[in-house]
Amino acid sequence: MEYVIHLIILINIYIILTTSTNLLVGVTNLLSLGQAALYGIGAYLSVLALMVFHWPLIPTLLFSMIITGLLSLLLAWPSLRLKGDYFVLATLGFQLIVFNILYNWVSVTRGPYGIPGIPNPKLFGDVEISGLWAFLALSLVLAVIVIFLFHNLIHSPFGRALRGVRDDELSMQALGKNVTAFKIQAFVISSAFIAISGFLYATYVSYIDPTSFNLDESIFILSALIVGGLGNIRGSIIGALVVILLPEALRFIGLPDSVAANMRQIIYGLALIVLMRFRPQGIAGNYTIK
Amino acid sequence: MGDILTIQSLSKGFSRQVKNSAGEDVDEQYWIIHQLFLNVPRGKVIALIGGNGAGKTTLFNLISGFIMRDSGSISFKPEWKNIELSGMSPHLITRAGIGRMFQDNHIFSEMSVLDNMLVADSAYLAERPFRSLLFRNKTRKEENCRLAKAREIFDELFGVDNPFWEKREQPAGNLSYGQQRLLGLSRLFMRNYKLLLLDEPTAGVNPEVIEQIKQLILNFIKNNQTVLLIEHNLEVVKDIADFCCYMENGRIALMGTPEDVINNEEVRKSYLRF
Repeated sequence: MEYVIHLIILINIYIILTTSTNLLVGVTNLLSLGQAALYGIGAYLSVLALMVFHWPLIPTLLFSMIITGLLSLLLAWPSLRLKGDYFVLATLGFQLIVFNILYNWVSVTRGPYGIPGIPNPKLFGDVEISGLWAFLALSLVLAVIVIFLFHNLIHSPFGRALRGVRDDELSMQALGKNVTAFKIQAFVISSAFIAISGFLYATYVSYIDPTSFNLDESIFILSALIVGGLGNIRGSIIGALVVILLPEALRFIGLPDSVAANMRQIIYGLALIVLMRFRPQGIAGNYTIK
Repeated sequence: MGDILTIQSLSKGFSRQVKNSAGEDVDEQYWIIHQLFLNVPRGKVIALIGGNGAGKTTLFNLISGFIMRDSGSISFKPEWKNIELSGMSPHLITRAGIGRMFQDNHIFSEMSVLDNMLVADSAYLAERPFRSLLFRNKTRKEENCRLAKAREIFDELFGVDNPFWEKREQPAGNLSYGQQRLLGLSRLFMRNYKLLLLDEPTAGVNPEVIEQIKQLILNFIKNNQTVLLIEHNLEVVKDIADFCCYMENGRIALMGTPEDVINNEEVRKSYLRF
């Protein structure tokens, strides 16, 4: 049972990651390789708020979201004036810089040693979120809130404008829309909500180190989103389910221990290739990445 | 009434490498638009004709801010105030009151017909992300108002039982080419533009749709809007244009009534080839 709850918590963390990333990649067509960096910033800021400032849950979450959003603005401001592949490269650069800061600024982040013993967040007063069931409830509540907010955003006039930017920037400009402003807003909102995943991960695992937020993680988040499908919330949820559950399911197919880990990676990779060949928009997506 | 748009000594060019008589590569300035002057009278349809490469679409791109001029000025006077357009971003030029329809169908093919109409409205406030989340009821009410406006425009333009409205929930990419052109034009009714730049609106559509497009352009004029139109279909020019400009080598070579310009011997020889 504990194993199932653990998986559900991980799925919830990834639902928040994919749903937030979907606003950027699926709705606005801005392919970013810096999502894990933002996830990491959210996690480290949460640890700062919990361990140094001793703040309870809600101020910690807000602090983490606001500062991550502001930091993303520093990246968004110059980068979003770049077109297509250059923007992807800028986010790759951001990812590498953040990882290196987290890894080498040992006096603050403890670098490769990581930060152990992250305390449980306090809801209010002395009421702590501790234990699997409490984290399950917290992650569920946060995932549902994020899904609700992003569903409303995507189906609002703002979401429609973002889809317009995705489909035809030139036309949007000719209709009087400030395309750069829309992209910046999408980037900052997406980043701020990714910080929630960082908070959840840090407090649930109670240990963080930079390797959890490297380029591989960014690619993993993107592949989750692309597998599930771009452009809608359903795809983001399915993507998170698939990338967490598929490797777990492959544990039960009876591969010899010596090759199991590598074979699981190969089977997982093959599944991705087959999906992209026959259903490039993902399992539940309504948009193919350009 | 006065002129709504005044263009003075406008130039746009680029340097290209050519070989000189000694066979060496030298830079040469090539002008797409060169020392162009144009006054656009308010409330009229002005057609721009001319061969490929004459600079018609470049002129539209300069007016709407998609490319920057090298020299000269573009002055827009929607009401009483003069606005210098040179250096302004395209979206600000649109907000100042200049609408643009491109030569290609720049519709949002993955969006529904209805969303294509709604996104063309000037809903800056509603398009703020937190407003959508915090004031959901207000946003919904405003959205319903925009929807009613889109419906009204459709009914007025195409009649109450128009086939377009039946396709309103379908992706615009499913429409025929002619219907997409009509949608592109209909979108321009969602905002109160003072000047419309229409780049070959009748290109590649059947005679029935051409008639509909002509009616739409005349509707703009009824609303006291001004239309600058690039058009190769001279019958359309004769039918709806008040003035016609013939462009050659990046300049307005001739301006007058459509009949005068089309019947001009030089225009016949160099553009119409008869």
